Amino acid sequence: MLENLPLLAAVNLHKTYRKHAIEVPVLTGVDLEVFAGEFLSIVGSSGSGKSTLLHLLGTLDKPDAGRILFNTERIDNLPAEQRDRLRNETFGFIFQFYHLLPELTTLENVLMPKMIALSVRGWLRQRRTLKQHATELLDRVGLGHRLHHKPRELSGGEMQRAAIARALINRPRILLADEPTGNLDADKGLEIIRLLRDLNRQEQLTIIMVTHNMEIVGNTDRVVRLIKGRVEDATKSPSLLQPTMTG
Amino acid sequence: MYKLLLCWRYLLTRYLALVCIVSVMLGVATLIVVNSVMAGFSTKLRERLHGLLSDIVIEAHDFQGFANPEGKMALIQSDPFLSQHIEAMTPTLEIFGMIQFACNGTALARPVHIIGIDPAGRARVGGFAEHLLLHKGKPSFELSPEALERQHVLHPPHRLDRIAAMLLPPPTDGKPAPAPPPLDVSPPSTIIIGYAIAHFRAKLNPDGPPEEVRTLAPGDDVIITTIKGHGLRNQELSPVQWRCAVCDYFKSEMSEYDANYVFVPLSELQRLRAMPDRATSIQIRIKDYRDLRAVKDRLQTLLPAHWELTVHTWEDKQGPLLAAISIEKGILNVLLFMIIAVAGFGILAIFSMIVVEKTRDIGILKALGASNRGVLNIFLSYGLLLGAVGALLGSAIGTAITIYINEIEQFLTKWTGHELFDRSVYYFNEIPTDLNIWSVLVINVGAVAIAVLFSVLPALRAALLHPVRALRYE
Repeated sequence: MLENLPLLAAVNLHKTYRKHAIEVPVLTGVDLEVFAGEFLSIVGSSGSGKSTLLHLLGTLDKPDAGRILFNTERIDNLPAEQRDRLRNETFGFIFQFYHLLPELTTLENVLMPKMIALSVRGWLRQRRTLKQHATELLDRVGLGHRLHHKPRELSGGEMQRAAIARALINRPRILLADEPTGNLDADKGLEIIRLLRDLNRQEQLTIIMVTHNMEIVGNTDRVVRLIKGRVEDATKSPSLLQPTMTG
Repeated sequence: MYKLLLCWRYLLTRYLALVCIVSVMLGVATLIVVNSVMAGFSTKLRERLHGLLSDIVIEAHDFQGFANPEGKMALIQSDPFLSQHIEAMTPTLEIFGMIQFACNGTALARPVHIIGIDPAGRARVGGFAEHLLLHKGKPSFELSPEALERQHVLHPPHRLDRIAAMLLPPPTDGKPAPAPPPLDVSPPSTIIIGYAIAHFRAKLNPDGPPEEVRTLAPGDDVIITTIKGHGLRNQELSPVQWRCAVCDYFKSEMSEYDANYVFVPLSELQRLRAMPDRATSIQIRIKDYRDLRAVKDRLQTLLPAHWELTVHTWEDKQGPLLAAISIEKGILNVLLFMIIAVAGFGILAIFSMIVVEKTRDIGILKALGASNRGVLNIFLSYGLLLGAVGALLGSAIGTAITIYINEIEQFLTKWTGHELFDRSVYYFNEIPTDLNIWSVLVINVGAVAIAVLFSVLPALRAALLHPVRALRYE
C-alpha cells in the first residue's frame, strides 16, 4: 500500500519573494510527487523557481502556502530543530558551486554532517568507524587519493564528487541536487550524472535533480518542467524535452 | 564537534583574528603590570605606614594631652584580656612646631611634627629603632664622639676661661694643678631629625643623576619652637624655644615622615612645655595582629568616658591614605578595563567582517543540518578562543614584565637618559611589585568575558542568517 504513496510530495506550493516592496511570485501552486527510488529531473528556464522548489522540498525554506509531505507526514511546518534533523539525516544536498568548507580537508568536509549530528563524546567514540566509512565513500567517488587535500587543491569535478560523498555520509533517503553539473564541462558533468545514476540504481537512492542541461536529463527516470511557477510533467509531453524549449 | 573543529581552523587560518588576540593580549598585559605595581606600592606603603605606627593608639582630644600616662598603662595591664594580648606600650607627647637651622649661612625654617619619646619604650613598640641611621636598633639621644667634636667646634670654651687657666700660678707644693673649670659644650638637649629635613636631592652635575646633599651633620645645632600652655587650666598659649644638637637621623623611606618628624626626649618636652607627667597618646603593640579589633574594642570599654580618650587602630589613623590608594587602584582598573573594552569593539568589528566573509559557509552548515544555536556557538566559541589565547599570552607577557620591571626600568633609564622612577619620591630602592594570582585570574576572566560579550552580536547575526540567502551570497 505504502509503495504506491509518494516518498516526497509538494501540494499546491506557493512562494513569493519580496524585493524593495515589489512582490515577485516564484511558485504559484506547485504539485509534485516523488516516489522512492526515483531519479527525477526538474527543468525550467532561468528564474523559473527550480532552485526555490528544491530548497522548499529540502526544508531549507518555508512555503508561503501549500504543504510538503514526507512519507505522508507534513514537514514544512515542523519546528526548526526537527527540520534541521531532516536536512541532516533524511536529505542530502549537492550544489552547483560544490559548497565545500575551504578550511577543512576533503575527508573532514565529508564527515561534516556526521560531526553536526554527533556530540563531542559520540564523535570521539565513533570517529574511527566514521572515518573509515567516509574514506570508503571517497574511494567510491574516485577520491581515495585526495583525502587530506583542501578544496582549493581539487578540480571542479573532484570537488563535486567530494560534495556527493558528503551528501551520502548520513545515508539519506533523498538526494537533492541543484545544478550539479552547472559548473563543469560536458565530460565531467556526464561523469557526475553517471555516478548519480549508479547510486540511484545500486542503492535505490531517490534523487531530485534541478538542471537546465537537457543533455543529461535523458539519464533520469522522469523529467518535470516548471512553467510560470507550476509543474508540467515533461515525460507526458516529449516536446518539452526539445533543447529549443529550454532556457 | 564541528563547532570546535571550525573554531580551531578559523583561529589558524583567519589572520585578521590575530588583531583581536593582540589587542586582548596588550590589554591583559597592561592590566597585570599596572595592577602588580599598584599592589606593590600599596603593600609597601602599608608596610611602611604600619611599620611606623603602632598597632593601636590611645589619643587625647587636644594637644594638652592627659595626665598620668603610667597610671593609665597600669590600668590597661591590669585587665587580664589586654595584658594577654598586648606586647608593649609607651607614652608619647606630640605637638606641632618649627625647626630652624643654618645652611651655608642661610637661615632655614620648616614646620615639623615634634614627638617626645622614651627611646627604649618606643623601640619596644616597634617601627622606630630600625629606622635610625646612627643608633640603628639601639635608640638613644646621646651624641656620638664625632657629634661631640662638632659641638666642640661650634661652641668653643669661652676665651676668658682659657686666659684664666693660663694665668693660674704653677703649683708650688708638688700637688697637681687643679682641673680647669669644665667646658660647657653639652647642648641643652639632643634631637633625632627626619632624614629628609637634613638632606635634599639636587642635580649638581647637569649630565649626571641627582645627588644627595646634607644640610645638617650630627652635632649641628637646630632651634625648635613650639607652644606651651599656662594660666588658668593651661588655656593661654605662649611660644617656647630651645636649642638642641642633631644626634641621629630617622629614615623610614616614607617621605611624609622623613620630611616632617623630629624626635626629642619625652621628659625634655614635658619640662619645656610645662606638662609634667602628661602625654598626648599611648602607643600599643599587640602580640597577634588578628586580635586588632578585639583589643581595640576591649580598650574602648575599659577606658572611662570622662577621660575623653579615643582608641584608633593604625588603619583608622591612615584611613584616608589607604582609601586613596584603594580608590586610585579601582579607578585605574576601570580605565584599563576600558582599554580591553576598546579591544572588544575591535573584536566586534573584525567578527562582523568574518561573519560576512563566512556567510556562504554558514549557509552550507545550515543546509547540512546545523542549527541556529550551533552556528551561534561556533562564533561565541571563536570569541572565547580568541579571548583565551589573547589573555594567556597577555598573562605571560604581563607576568614577565612585572618580574623584570626593575631591569626594564634600568635599561630604559640608561637608554633614554631620563630617570623613569624617581627614587626621591618614595625612597624605594626599586619599583615594588606584588603579583597576585587572584587578580591575574580576575583580569583573565574579565578579558575573556569581554571578548565573548562582544562576539555575541556578530554571532547572533550569523545564527539568524537565512540559509538560502546565505547560500546565494556572493
